[in-house]
Amino acid sequence: MNGDGTVFARGLRKSFGDRVVLDSIDLDVVCGQIVCVIGPSGSGKSTLLRCINGLEEVDRGVLRVNGEDLGFRETATSYRARKRKEVAAQRSRIGMVFQSFNLFPNMTARQNVMSGPVLVKGKPKAEAARRADALLASVGLEGHGGHYPWQLSGGQQQRVAIARSLAMDPNVMLFDEPTSALDPERVGEVLAVMKDLAERGMTMLIATHEMGFAKEVADTVMFMDGGLVVEQGAPKDVLCNPKERRTQKFLESVL
Amino acid sequence: MTSTTEPTRTDRHKPDGHEDAATKPRVHRRGTLEYVAWAVCVLVTIGVTRTLVTNENYQWDVVAQYLTAPSIIRGLVLTVVLTFAAMFFGSVLGVVIAVLRVSPLRPVRILAGAYLTFFRGTPVLVQLIFWFNIAALYPELAIGIPFTDISQDIDVNRLISATTAAVLGLSLNQAAYQAEIVRGGFASVDKGQIEAADALGMSRLTKLRRITIPQAMPTIVPATGNQFIGMFKETSLVSVLGVAELLQSVQLVYARTYQTIPLLLVACVWYLVMTVLLSYPQSLIEKRFSRTRARVGNDPVPSQIGLIGDAK
Repeated sequence: MNGDGTVFARGLRKSFGDRVVLDSIDLDVVCGQIVCVIGPSGSGKSTLLRCINGLEEVDRGVLRVNGEDLGFRETATSYRARKRKEVAAQRSRIGMVFQSFNLFPNMTARQNVMSGPVLVKGKPKAEAARRADALLASVGLEGHGGHYPWQLSGGQQQRVAIARSLAMDPNVMLFDEPTSALDPERVGEVLAVMKDLAERGMTMLIATHEMGFAKEVADTVMFMDGGLVVEQGAPKDVLCNPKERRTQKFLESVL
Repeated sequence: MTSTTEPTRTDRHKPDGHEDAATKPRVHRRGTLEYVAWAVCVLVTIGVTRTLVTNENYQWDVVAQYLTAPSIIRGLVLTVVLTFAAMFFGSVLGVVIAVLRVSPLRPVRILAGAYLTFFRGTPVLVQLIFWFNIAALYPELAIGIPFTDISQDIDVNRLISATTAAVLGLSLNQAAYQAEIVRGGFASVDKGQIEAADALGMSRLTKLRRITIPQAMPTIVPATGNQFIGMFKETSLVSVLGVAELLQSVQLVYARTYQTIPLLLVACVWYLVMTVLLSYPQSLIEKRFSRTRARVGNDPVPSQIGLIGDAK
């Protein structure tokens, strides 16, 4: 489809009770683009990613992922909720990697990676297992397929989680602070996998505190604060030459 | 305070004490309270044993005579059957109600909540008598297909025998408690697990079967084992309906022979033996699931660090 791998948003708004966490967000992510979302905690970057794969429902605004209105269908006067099956199908094409990995502890690494294809798409187990082993190898975890999450380090768990997302053949990958829960010496191995993925042309939106990674890999860096996109542009502009005072202050505090 | 460190101090004064101090064993203090507790324990044991042996009103010969009497054994078997039946139907229905209780549809949640309120809010004994007398409320039950002439009237009095009422009452009541156990199990599953399943596009049923229920099992199973033991004793309540389970069986005997105490002892012995027998698998299950539970977390617990180390 023509819209595959794109994220389009206009005037996205999301609030929890009285607290507005996303305020008129616009996005134009093209296929293969790498967007790093930075900002202090509570700035809304996690919520933005969670909205893009439907874990949170937006209050207002246009949100199209892979060229389709996410979770809703536009009519003349409103957005009508889609059938649950349609929503599930849409979400299966959007990969999500969580800060806390969220691997299924009752399954081995291989079973985790197989879970989407087998339990959602109904693929035969043998085929899914072969594919899972290939994916695990591609994230540098050859031979770890039989291990349970508790037997793996944080970095390994996160790489299994990435493989699990990739098993669904998503067109867009969302990373919600994928390295924030890791020991410092484990951050590199996860970033390497993500970099590899970026080079293969995956559309990626990454909420992160890894400024070095953002500078190196991102096409666009978005700085968010208080639910607003304060500044966005090429990494060298936003990270090295920020125009907004809030961006400057934030970068001073983290670097 | 001073007495705690005393042994070390006296040792230090010995001529060679300084060199060997590093190898000396650490001796822990036994408090006075422990000696007192032991004394009380021994006294109570002696007292209880003495009265059990010397008080002739216990009539141990009668206990021995009836312990394996055919009518008593029949009662025991019925008690076991009732326990298993009520636990089976109760657990199945309990899971269903727990699922309804967390339904996204509000009316479904309300109905499930009403069920829980009623069955947990009224005594089991009252419920049992109620089911036994249900025929007074609905003398005839018509089973048929709505909007057609096909229908069959059933005499409720015949349908609900004492045993049916017992199974029905115990099961429906057990279902309410089981539902709460299952719901607690569901609540113990990390929210991130559901989000991960959602992100993969899993359907609600798949999430329940593959993610929520397997991860809730470590919480559900041990609690259910407890319920099992509880149910075994709870079946004694159905004696009021005239169901010839263990308690009713001994009552039938002592109503005739007036040997109330020894026959109640017969019942006690069997209840005790069975609960102890049931406790053993229960403790095994609990141990097994507490181990898996520790594995479930993202971080290894201290006892597993060695295990992981071995694997490397």
